[in-house]
Amino acid sequence: MYGKGLRPLSIATVVMWAITLSLVFFYAPIEADQGFLQKIFYLHVPLAIIALCGYVIGGIFAVLHLRRDDPRWDAYSYVSIHISVIFTVGGLLTGAIWAKGSWGHWWVWNEPTLVSFLIVFLLYATYYPFRYAIEDRQRQARYASVFAITAGAFVPLNFLAVRASASLVHPRVFATAEGGLPTSMLVTFLCALVSMGLLWATLVKFELSAKSAQGQLKRLRRALDAPVGPPSSRIAPEVH
Amino acid sequence: MFHLLLAADPSVPNDIGGKYVAGAYVVFIVLLLIYVAIMAMKLARIEKGLGEVAEIAEARKEAAPAEPTESEAPAATTHTVTPGPAASGATAQETRP
Repeated sequence: MYGKGLRPLSIATVVMWAITLSLVFFYAPIEADQGFLQKIFYLHVPLAIIALCGYVIGGIFAVLHLRRDDPRWDAYSYVSIHISVIFTVGGLLTGAIWAKGSWGHWWVWNEPTLVSFLIVFLLYATYYPFRYAIEDRQRQARYASVFAITAGAFVPLNFLAVRASASLVHPRVFATAEGGLPTSMLVTFLCALVSMGLLWATLVKFELSAKSAQGQLKRLRRALDAPVGPPSSRIAPEVH
Repeated sequence: MFHLLLAADPSVPNDIGGKYVAGAYVVFIVLLLIYVAIMAMKLARIEKGLGEVAEIAEARKEAAPAEPTESEAPAATTHTVTPGPAASGATAQETRP
């Protein structure tokens, strides 16, 4: 059920990434100020945007879980957050590399954009111990949903607060009056954003399919009275 | 790593910027590969589990007596573990689609 449509989605992701990388390295012009280093922009910014959107989507799925009391929505919420955390790690690492090349420092502590993104990451890093600390599956799912909604609401608020604050060194490309980017760069960036979104969706679907297969296997073992293995409150949530 | 990249694609600018760009894209790919490797291990575990379950099912099918007659049927359901919904009410609940 969860694997339905995974193949066309994977193919679309690969095709879009091929197009995006071609545009990044052969079409988008070299930026006058930063030179070739600016090519990290097409990786770092989509990673960060899709990660933040993924957290909000995880919060929306959590709302649906609490409203409909269907564990499938909890699974969607969990997997969305899980993949977004991985993307956040990617965003932090690529951002640090870009910062080192551009500013000469891996990290700048008095820059609101960087610190707020780190806070979001640390907030969601607590999701796992919070979730696994609860053994009862239904309570675990409910509490995790409340967390996902609260944290999901914090993400756009945090983003708006950072945009309103004064930036020290981090660029605000889309905030300038003319839109900031020339058309060739904008097209390349939008392609990169779509590619990253497709990659996120593919990984979410892939993870859900794997979890579903794991859940089906457990059901089969129980049906056959076969040993199920050690208690599995850590492998959460179970999807059928 | 950067020298390997330069050998593969000489169009990469051989300056400090090229080094960091290569680093960022390599980090992204490594992150994806780590994720794929973890998922591959999980899938291998599932595959192994499926193999075990299939072996159990086949062993039980071989060990089970020949198709019981109608008069023997109630005794067979209480003493043998038959895969599928016919085994018990609880099993029927768990295996519904």
